[in-house]
Amino acid sequence: MGVDLIFKIAAIGILVAVLNQVLIRSGREEQAMMTTLAGIVVVLMMVAKEIANLFDTVKTMFQF
Amino acid sequence: MILKIIGSVAILGASSILGHVYSQDCVKRPQELRVLQGLLQMFENEISFLSNLLTEAFEKICRSSDSEVANIFKQTVLNLKSQNINASQAWESAVKDVIKKTSLNKEDEEILISFGKMLGNSDLEGQIKNIRLTVNQLKMQEQKAEDNRKRNEKMYRSLGVLGGLAIVIILL
Repeated sequence: MGVDLIFKIAAIGILVAVLNQVLIRSGREEQAMMTTLAGIVVVLMMVAKEIANLFDTVKTMFQF
Repeated sequence: MILKIIGSVAILGASSILGHVYSQDCVKRPQELRVLQGLLQMFENEISFLSNLLTEAFEKICRSSDSEVANIFKQTVLNLKSQNINASQAWESAVKDVIKKTSLNKEDEEILISFGKMLGNSDLEGQIKNIRLTVNQLKMQEQKAEDNRKRNEKMYRSLGVLGGLAIVIILL
């Protein structure tokens, strides 16, 4: 699960970078910005579950 | 697993084709505008030197080109023959019918329709001036379309492929 997620995020990162370049080359800075934001949101959604998991673990650590 | 691969390939193929279609649209519009200019110039020659009737001239013009835009002339002739309307109405409805199948956009349609409004209701001088005006406007549109093509052709194609790839990775 862990490694899979990392690869997925890396792939999205590469894709967003390329998309960004393509859009900037054709003079669409706003859309380039939007794709970057969309990429960030998608990755955050993916990671949100893991972060929640981490917080839960930390919480159980401090519950005696 | 196999199902997943098949699905990913299908999504990727579909989005690539979509991108290709859009980029083809970008390529086709300047070409069609060029053809249209040529056809209008031919029409000018038809009426100024040969003094042909409108329907004859149009029939000749649409025979000389197999492009999609030549169908406007053909459709106008058909409209004139089948219904009891005048030339500008026939031209307008023909433009509205045919333009859906071409890559031309709303602005081009407006120019063509305003060309039709003058069609057949002034003397030879007026007609020729009208044709020259339309050709000039189309030339300007062509330049704009050419600029657009340079910017967008590659972008649409790569956007299709990359977008498909993004969807596949997110769904995976």
